[in-house]
Amino acid sequence: MPERLYNRLKELRTEAGLTQAELAERVGVTRKTVNTVENLVFTPSALLALKLAEALNVPVEELFWIER
Amino acid sequence: MNSKSDAARAEELSRKRARALPVLGVLFISQQLVFFSSPARDRMVDHVHIGAWLILSVVMLLALTTGGGWIYPRSVRQLANDEATRVHRDDAFRYGFLAAMVACIALYVVTLFEPFGEREAIHLILTVGIGMALLRFGLLERRAMRDA
Repeated sequence: MPERLYNRLKELRTEAGLTQAELAERVGVTRKTVNTVENLVFTPSALLALKLAEALNVPVEELFWIER
Repeated sequence: MNSKSDAARAEELSRKRARALPVLGVLFISQQLVFFSSPARDRMVDHVHIGAWLILSVVMLLALTTGGGWIYPRSVRQLANDEATRVHRDDAFRYGFLAAMVACIALYVVTLFEPFGEREAIHLILTVGIGMALLRFGLLERRAMRDA
């Protein structure tokens, strides 16, 4: 079975009271990119993953994990 | 304030691009069908037709490479060409390259049986390559916009 990167982006973003657009603005990407990461359509780079975790004030491993 | 405005404009540019690119891809390819159904001769109107196609090809290639939106400020274009967009563009170029190579192979086989002019061959390969890349980029961008 192929490895896949999962995330709790939508859940943690909603908990933080942020919209996709607000989170996108904080990390310097478009809303489209946040949307594709949330929907598992796009696997973000390490840089973007770290920025997202920082923006949501959580460790990156709490936000992303690999499922095998 | 300025950053907020940039984000909104980048979103607008992304949406416009996602809507326009697949349409441009279909138009770009379908317009060339006219050319192949009535091959160019040596009339002035044919030279104008070919010239217009060449200019359109260069514009489409530049739009694909840079992400287009040249009327927007640089900061907006940089934001609109973020990580996901760059990945979509790379994938679109891969599709375009593969389509162009398939067109080359098909042309090679055809020329074994039928004569085919070199200019027509270049026309066909460019059209297939650019058209496929435009379609793929546009479709990926549209899919990414869903539920956004």
